[in-house]
Amino acid sequence: MNALAASFAVSCIRGHDSGVSTLQLDEELNRFFADVERRALRIAEIAVRNREDALDLVQEAMIKLARKYASKSSEEWPPLFYRILQNGVRDHHRRQAVRNRVMVWFGKSDDDGVDPIAAAPDPAGRSPDQELETGEAMRKLEEAVAALPNRQREAFMMRTFEGLDVRDTATAMGVTEGSVKTHYSRAVHALREALGEHWQ
Amino acid sequence: MNERKDNVTEDDALVAKAKGLFDESVQRLDAATLSRLNRGRQMALDQAGGHRVGIRWTQWVPATGVAAATVFAVVLWTGNRPIDDLTPPAQATDFEIILEGDDFEMLENLEFYSWIELDEDTKSHVG
Repeated sequence: MNALAASFAVSCIRGHDSGVSTLQLDEELNRFFADVERRALRIAEIAVRNREDALDLVQEAMIKLARKYASKSSEEWPPLFYRILQNGVRDHHRRQAVRNRVMVWFGKSDDDGVDPIAAAPDPAGRSPDQELETGEAMRKLEEAVAALPNRQREAFMMRTFEGLDVRDTATAMGVTEGSVKTHYSRAVHALREALGEHWQ
Repeated sequence: MNERKDNVTEDDALVAKAKGLFDESVQRLDAATLSRLNRGRQMALDQAGGHRVGIRWTQWVPATGVAAATVFAVVLWTGNRPIDDLTPPAQATDFEIILEGDDFEMLENLEFYSWIELDEDTKSHVG
């Protein structure tokens, strides 16, 4: 009888521990997402040039990380999260390219009527006043970063904007550390060329 | 050497300015966007909790539907197939018969064949 009671007590304690660790994990995940989500949104937005799409991509990345990789150590979360996000961005670009091809096939080219890019609202959803505050410098930077080749853009944004080190950037991009250094260096050079001396 | 040093300095300046502008834009995100991010985060955390509990019964509903649709499609697909690979489908056989030259010849002499048939019938009645 005593043995049975002891066994029950141990199982209760184990169950309690498991509940506590689950709670801790949720809190840790919450803190990680809260810390990373704003920068991730802006990074995705610069890449896809659309805030709504960027919000969807960030949410999908959070859900995938929470469902599949929450059990990994928290140090591994940043590169994993950005890898998922970059995959989402690449997939978005692929789908966009297909959509554009279909539009061309149906004869809806940019030459027909209004230029959709010029007519589209500001992707960041800013009012004219806010846009003035943001300034020409940020807009030029966003355009220049968006115009970079995919790999260079990824390396630059993860190293500069998110502050990932070379190793984590390599994990996030699925390339070697040497490749990250090359892409990053080329990106900085290209941005300097595109933005000119007056920008700095 | 000096040129390279200048480039490095310029690169550092560009990176620092880019980082500063980016951080500023992050700080200026509007309340509606922050609310959307918060909702997305809560949804992700809910999914993480749900995933640890295991698959809920509601998740079986679409899976069962997909399985039933797959079985139905397989049955339909195999139902239209020929009995074996050596037997051509009925439509192909009909098509071959129509294209056979002999039949066209028979059609051209249809009147002659009708007369022979009538003649043989008459003879059998007489006999």
